[in-house]
Amino acid sequence: MAFYAFLLDLARCIGCEACAAACMAGNELPFGAQYIHLIEQTQGAFPDLTGGFKNHRCYHCADAACVKVCPTGALYKEDGLTRLNREVCIGCAYCVDACPFDVPQIVNGRSSKCDACAAATKAGGQPWCVRTCPSDALRYGERQEILAEAHQRVEAIKARYPRARVYGETEAGGLGVVIVLTDEPEAFDLPVNPQTPRLLDIWQNVVQPAAVGLTGLSILVTGVAAIIARRNHMKELEQLRSQQIESSQNERAS
Amino acid sequence: MGKVQLQISRRTFLKGALAGSAGAALAFGQMAEAVAAPSENSGTPWYYRGEIKRTYSVCDMCPWRCGVIVQSVNGRVYKIDGNPADPKSRGMLCARGQAGASFMYDPDRLRSPMIRTGERGEGKFQEVTWEEALDAMAEKLLAIKEQYGPESVAIFGHTSGEFWFTDYFAQAWGTPNASKPSSSLCTSPREEASLLTVGLPVGGHEPVDWEGVRCITLIGSHIGEDSRNTVMQDFAKAWARGAKVIVVDPRFSSVAAKADYWLPIKPGTDTALLLAWIHVLITEHRYDAAYVAEWTQGFDKLAAHVAEMTPEWAAAITELDPELIRTTARVMAEHLPQSVIVPGRHVTWYGNDTQRMRAVYIMNSLLGAYGREGGIYFSKSPYIEAYPHPPFAVAGSSGGCSAEPGAENGELPVGPSGKARADGARTKFLRGPTAMQELIEPMITGEPYPIKALIVYGVNLLNTVPNVPRTIEALKKLDLVVAIDVLPMEHVAWADIVLPEATMYERFEDVWTVSHKTPYIALREPAVEPYADTKPAWWMARELGLRVGLEKYFKWETVEEFVATRLQSIGYTIEKLREEGGIIVQKGKPYLSDFKGTSPFKTPSGKIELYSETLALAGQDPLPVYTPVEEPPPGWFRLLYGRHPVHTFAKTQNTPLLHQLNPENDLWLNADVAASLGVKDGDRVWLENQDGVRSGPIKVKATQRIRPDAVFMSHGFGRNAPGLSLANGKGASDAALITRYALDPICGGAGMRVNFVRIVKEA
Repeated sequence: MAFYAFLLDLARCIGCEACAAACMAGNELPFGAQYIHLIEQTQGAFPDLTGGFKNHRCYHCADAACVKVCPTGALYKEDGLTRLNREVCIGCAYCVDACPFDVPQIVNGRSSKCDACAAATKAGGQPWCVRTCPSDALRYGERQEILAEAHQRVEAIKARYPRARVYGETEAGGLGVVIVLTDEPEAFDLPVNPQTPRLLDIWQNVVQPAAVGLTGLSILVTGVAAIIARRNHMKELEQLRSQQIESSQNERAS
Repeated sequence: MGKVQLQISRRTFLKGALAGSAGAALAFGQMAEAVAAPSENSGTPWYYRGEIKRTYSVCDMCPWRCGVIVQSVNGRVYKIDGNPADPKSRGMLCARGQAGASFMYDPDRLRSPMIRTGERGEGKFQEVTWEEALDAMAEKLLAIKEQYGPESVAIFGHTSGEFWFTDYFAQAWGTPNASKPSSSLCTSPREEASLLTVGLPVGGHEPVDWEGVRCITLIGSHIGEDSRNTVMQDFAKAWARGAKVIVVDPRFSSVAAKADYWLPIKPGTDTALLLAWIHVLITEHRYDAAYVAEWTQGFDKLAAHVAEMTPEWAAAITELDPELIRTTARVMAEHLPQSVIVPGRHVTWYGNDTQRMRAVYIMNSLLGAYGREGGIYFSKSPYIEAYPHPPFAVAGSSGGCSAEPGAENGELPVGPSGKARADGARTKFLRGPTAMQELIEPMITGEPYPIKALIVYGVNLLNTVPNVPRTIEALKKLDLVVAIDVLPMEHVAWADIVLPEATMYERFEDVWTVSHKTPYIALREPAVEPYADTKPAWWMARELGLRVGLEKYFKWETVEEFVATRLQSIGYTIEKLREEGGIIVQKGKPYLSDFKGTSPFKTPSGKIELYSETLALAGQDPLPVYTPVEEPPPGWFRLLYGRHPVHTFAKTQNTPLLHQLNPENDLWLNADVAASLGVKDGDRVWLENQDGVRSGPIKVKATQRIRPDAVFMSHGFGRNAPGLSLANGKGASDAALITRYALDPICGGAGMRVNFVRIVKEA
């Protein structure tokens, strides 16, 4: 089975947002949906500063919390990437809560996140973001090759950035987005050790199998009640999301 | 967004997917299996909805003009990609280029010609036919010509079709008062300084030889925020190769964060820094002595001029560490001649900008950069004939950032009734293209002669020309105001006649010719039919020409005919150009070695003029001098403005895709200053300038990334155009706050960083 991955070189990324726009155009995202967010990061005090951009998007964790919690199989792993089939998504938003990177959002009642351009790549192309990146900060290919490229790039910038490192080789079971960092993960607002919340393991390993043993009626009742509860919770989440977009715009460099 | 959603059953979808596979293969450049996968819209991806039509054109989302391949399906454009054969895009595009379709399908677009029914500024119009609109325009123009002469018609133009009105129609009609904002409101200082110093324009594509450069110095250039595609690509490659990067900026910009050295200079003092750098190069003998001896003149005078301008002298002015000044000069010198100070683009800052740019070019000359690999190459225009036409009624002087090379003529061109430009050239300022902002006053005062009509093609008049109240006064006084545009921008409400334009991918356009290291010509064909009742500029200019007695200039009937005739001169046809990928690349003469001992420098002396006799004769400083600029009083901040990477000027704020990425601007305010003012990050404040003009509310970005004495915002927001349903009323307008400017006495540029603002917490 093939494992694919993105290279995301934050040493080269200059925050132009071409990737975000190409993604929106190529994937025909409806107004309100956005898979890539550029968020300016700054350390230090004037005039002793360092900084860059967080290129925030689905990190395609091998050990994907969203896939674990998804009750319908809308989120699933394929070729090492985390896909999303919106047609079977019920908008329960478990993925929103579970993601250690705060990535999925609910848009128009369903989960919304990067699926690594499943359709476009299967048609023989590269993901839209990769095709347009003017800074060569993005690549897509076999994960082993991407990892090798990432290590090579880190070596090449060590003189400039002694704290440079590869992020995502092992984190969360290994990410499908291998990131070249110029600094500690915290400097890019990334978790040092992203983890699936322990409760989710309990959910997947205990509650779900146990539920299978229950009668059909109780599954139905529990399921319907849970879905209704989640749906009621939806508006709140949407509101939260729009606030998040607003605050990320705040943080964004002009 | 007004998107076409194909609602088709699963069965039809599968058939469509199979039929579309050939098209999809085209889209991705290789054969591929058709795969059904749900998109965000839970529908068929656009590339499976039918055959993909690929059209060659040139992006119009910013003035950089990357060659593109437009992909459309069933008469609708879905995706725009860079044309891999294009020397600028090289197959990639920036966010704005990616949003080309979103711009086209903006539901707020102007749909039909209109004639004003209410008062000017009220925005009340009646939709009319093209016949009615053009007849009315022609009648009024002829009446003005009869009474005041053709020079009394001013034509302002920008964007891809500017040639048709600002150059072709204006010169055929006979007005020297045609102007482009890309000159006096943007690049005039760097162009005139370059002509004065090396005898060559910088040109639309700054001729930095990025491939071999080893040290890049940027002064107020914001690569990444200014998202010109090619420059971002070239910078990324040079940076990855290990080229040294020196950034001079009051702000820790995106590119400053990539720099080896960041010099957080006090705004307005750049010339002092440049003079100190020159001092270090000369006193420490670090300049390229052989090159200076062979190719420059005036070195001794320069050396004497900067003798006392030490890093310590400059440090007191610039508020920089003198050792940092010394070190950066040495780093530049260590890498010569592959060491360049990039010319920058929008350089109309303080009114003394031509002198600052002269200092930049003197540095580049001491570094031996001109005509050297990895330095600054010599651009060359592609060879292609103009469409044959009778002599024009007046020579052109509208300039523009893509102006063709040409020597400055001593005499100003005069129109048919004997009048030269009304902008004060040769009296208020020395030289350079027609200064747009200086044409406003004659509209009000009638001096030196009245300007009675204004045709505005694609210029966002009230977001571009400084001193908006003055422009409004002028708009009230004119006999005729015509707005040709795509969207209902602010000034459109002031027009008597509104002509809606078809956008780039809806029209055939003249081939795009680019002066470059590898001169090239690009095809521009339409991908789809024009939206509603919109028309291309060439069609409007021609129809108008036929109505005002200029038939002899418009013998061609379509622009295809115009283009075909031009292509004939180089042995091409439209079909052949299309088959070859839409781009013809010619050979350039980029380096000194290509000139075989003759001088490429077209100055009077044939050398790089470190000391300018031309300026001395005109009573200007022959060597750059640091002139202090007025400083903001306590409690006030210098207003700095610039770019956001997803926006172009005041053009794209309403484009749905780009609006979503950046819906409003924010106010960069030093975090410590914000704390002392009791303002928090995210608070909304108003700005009031020295003339009592207010703009806002704008969100505060309290950041360490800016000096305490200045504030910064991106340009193009704070809109007051109700027809722009997304952009209207969002953020603050730098344009509104720029009520004053400093006129550059050499080039006529309008220095706009001379406005001060204070922060007002409540409306």
